[in-house]
Amino acid sequence: MPATAASECPGLALSVTDLRVAAPGGRLLLSLPGLDLPAGRSLAVRGPSGAGKSTLLHALAGLLTDVEGAVRWGETDLLSLTDPARAAFRRARVGLVFQDFLLFEELGAEANAALAAGFAPASQRAAIRQRARSALDRLGLGGTSGRLAASFSDGERQRIAIARALAHDPAVILADEPTASLDRAAADRLIDDLVALSREDGRTLVVVSHDPALTERLDQSVEIVDGHLREGHHA
Amino acid sequence: MPDVFWLWAGLPTTLQDALLALALLAPGLVAGIVVLRGLSPWPLVRAMLGRFSAANVVFVALIAISVGIGVGLTAQERGLRQGSALAAEKFDLVVAAPGSEITLMLAAVYLQPSDVPLVSGAQYAEIAATERVSLAAPIAFGDSHDGAPVVGTTADFVAHLSGGLAEGRLFETAEEAVAGAYAPVALGEALTPEHGHGPTAEDESHADFAYTVTGRMAPTGSPWDRAILVPVEGVWAVHGLADGHAPENAGRIGPPFDPDYFPGTPAVLVRSDELWAHYGLKSRFTRPDLMAFFPGTVLAQLHVIMGDVRAAMSLLAVVTQVLVTVAVLAGLMILTRIFARGLALLRALGAPLRYVFAVVWGYSAALILVGALAGLVVGLAAASVLSRMVTARTDVLVSATLGWPELHLIAGFVSLTLLLALLPAWSAVRRPIVPDLRA
Ligand SMILES: Nc1ncnc2c1ncn2[C@@H]1O[C@H](COP(=O)(O)OP(=O)(O)OP(=O)(O)O)[C@@H](O)[C@H]1O
Ligand SMILES: [Mg+2]
Repeated sequence: MPATAASECPGLALSVTDLRVAAPGGRLLLSLPGLDLPAGRSLAVRGPSGAGKSTLLHALAGLLTDVEGAVRWGETDLLSLTDPARAAFRRARVGLVFQDFLLFEELGAEANAALAAGFAPASQRAAIRQRARSALDRLGLGGTSGRLAASFSDGERQRIAIARALAHDPAVILADEPTASLDRAAADRLIDDLVALSREDGRTLVVVSHDPALTERLDQSVEIVDGHLREGHHA
Repeated sequence: MPDVFWLWAGLPTTLQDALLALALLAPGLVAGIVVLRGLSPWPLVRAMLGRFSAANVVFVALIAISVGIGVGLTAQERGLRQGSALAAEKFDLVVAAPGSEITLMLAAVYLQPSDVPLVSGAQYAEIAATERVSLAAPIAFGDSHDGAPVVGTTADFVAHLSGGLAEGRLFETAEEAVAGAYAPVALGEALTPEHGHGPTAEDESHADFAYTVTGRMAPTGSPWDRAILVPVEGVWAVHGLADGHAPENAGRIGPPFDPDYFPGTPAVLVRSDELWAHYGLKSRFTRPDLMAFFPGTVLAQLHVIMGDVRAAMSLLAVVTQVLVTVAVLAGLMILTRIFARGLALLRALGAPLRYVFAVVWGYSAALILVGALAGLVVGLAAASVLSRMVTARTDVLVSATLGWPELHLIAGFVSLTLLLALLPAWSAVRRPIVPDLRA
C-alpha cells in the first residue's frame, strides 16, 4: 500500500463491515463481512451476472434501505444517516456513473454534465458548470456542449455521464458497468480516462464490471459470487 | 363582521371581481411560491416537456378543451342574454289586445310571425291621446319580401328605433320604405311585398303594389336589422283595408289616425319622454280589453325561468370540470411515472427531495397553465363562432366576450389543479430509488 498521507488526498477511505442486504422478500442478496479501500485508491468489483455487484454499489452509495452493517466513507457512517442526509452526502461527495448513462436526452451535453448545478447551493453553481465544461473538454467533447444528449454515440454519452460524475468535484466515484454498452476499444479508452481523472485528483474509485480486463487497470479488485466476497489483490 | 361586509359591498364591482379572481388563484399561487422558492427546475421541466411531447400535447389539449367548453358556455350564455336584452331595449312599453305577452314580445321585438288579435282604432286613439305618451306607434307585421319581414309602422318609430338613418331619408308616402341595416334590398329599389312569411308566403299576392326604398337604418342589433319598414298605411292598403285616414285626408301618412278608418294593429309601441311615466301607462292599459307589458321585463322573466336551466348547465359544467380535474390528476400520475427513471437518477445524484418535488410540480404546472390559457382561447373562439351562428339565424346581435365569470372559472380550475398537482409530485418523491433506477 503506498504511503500517501490521508490529509493530502481529497478521496475518502472506504470501510465496510458486516454488510448484509436483503431483498424485499427476505432473500439475502449480499453478505460482506468486510471490505476496505484506502482513500484515493481504486477498486474493481467483478463477478458473474446476478452476483450482487450493483447491489453492493447501491449500498456503497446509500441508496438501499434494507441494509444491515456499516458503510463508512472516511468519518461518515453512511447507513446511520437519514435519507436527506444520505442525499446530501451523495450531492457533496459521490459521483455516480451507470451502465446505460441515464442522461436527459432533451438536454445538451453541458446541461447534463452540470445537472448538479440545478440543485447545488447557489454559491457552487458556477464552479459546477465550469468543471463540467472542462471535464467535457478533457474527455474530447469540447465544443459540443449545445448538442442534445440524444445525438451522441454510446461512447460519447458515457463520457458525458463521467463529466457529470466529476462536475461537483466528488471525493468518491462509483461506476456501475460503465463500459457495458461499449466495444473493446471504446471501453478501454473510457476506463483509462476514468482512472486518470480519478487518480489525478486523488479520488477514490469503485468500478463494478464483469469485464476481467478491468482488474489490471485498478489498484485492487474483489470478486463477488452469489452475494459473497472472493478477495484478490492486484499489483 | 358587518363592517367587513359593508366594506366589501362598497367596493366597485370590477375590484370585487378582480379580488375574487385573485382569491381563487391564491391557493395555487401560494403552492407555487412555496414549492419553487429558491429553486429553478425549469431546464429539467423543459426537458420533460420535450420528451414524449405527443403525450404532453394530448394532455394540454384535454385541459384546453374542457376549460374551453366551460368558458365558451358561460360567455355564450351571457352574450345571448345581453344580446336579447339589447334587442328589446328600444321597446319601452307594448300595448296589445289581451293574449300571451311572450307571443307578442316575440312577434313585436323579435319579429317572429304569429296571429294575434288586433287593437282597434278607438283603443289606439285613446292610447295616443293619453297624457305623457310621446310615441304611440302601430306595429303591423305579416308581410315579407325575399324572406325579410315587411313591417308597417310610423316614421317616428323608425327614427326612434334607428336613432338616425345610416343613409337616405325616412318614408314620406305610403309607397316608400326604409330598409333595416342588413335587409336584402338596395336604396332606390322597388319591392313588392308578399303576404305571409317563408315558403308559405304567397308570391305576387300584392303584385299591384310596390314600395321604393328611400333610406336605410343604422344597425340596431335586433331582428329589425333584416326587416323592411314601411308606413302602416301601406300595409293596410296592400290588404285592401282602409288606410287609417278619412277620405278627405287621403295620402296622409302617420298619426293622427281616424278611428273610423283604422283597420286595427297587432301591437302599439308606447313611449313617454319621462321614464317614470311608463309604469303608470302600463297599469293604465292593463285592463280587460287591453294588455300592456315591458318587453324587457318579460324577457327578464324568461331569463329567470331559464335561470334554472342555466343552473343545471353550470352544474353540468362543474361536474365536467371535476371529472376533467380527476382525469388531469390521473394523467399527471401516469406522466410522472414515465419520468420515474430520470427522477430516480436525480435522487441518486443527491438532489434534495424539494428539488425533485419542484421538478415534478413545475412540469404539471406548465401543462396546466398552458392548457388553461389555450382553453381560454378555444372557449372564446368557440363562443364567437356560436355567436355568429346565432346572430345569423336570429338577427339578435350576440357577442360573446371575455367576462369575469370565465376568469373566475379558469382561476378556480387552475388553482385547484395546481394544488392537486402536489399529489403526483409527492408520490414521485416517495418512490424507492433503486427499483426505478433499475427499471
Ligand atoms: N428488489 C429485488 N428483489 C429480489 N431480488 C433482487 C432485487 N434486486 C436485485 N435482486 C437480485 O439480486 C441479485 C443481484 O443483483 P445485482 O443487480 O446486484 O447483480 P449484478 O451483479 O449487478 O448483475 P449484473 O452483472 O447482471 O448487473 C440478482 O439475483 C437480482 O435478481
Ligand atoms: Mg449490475
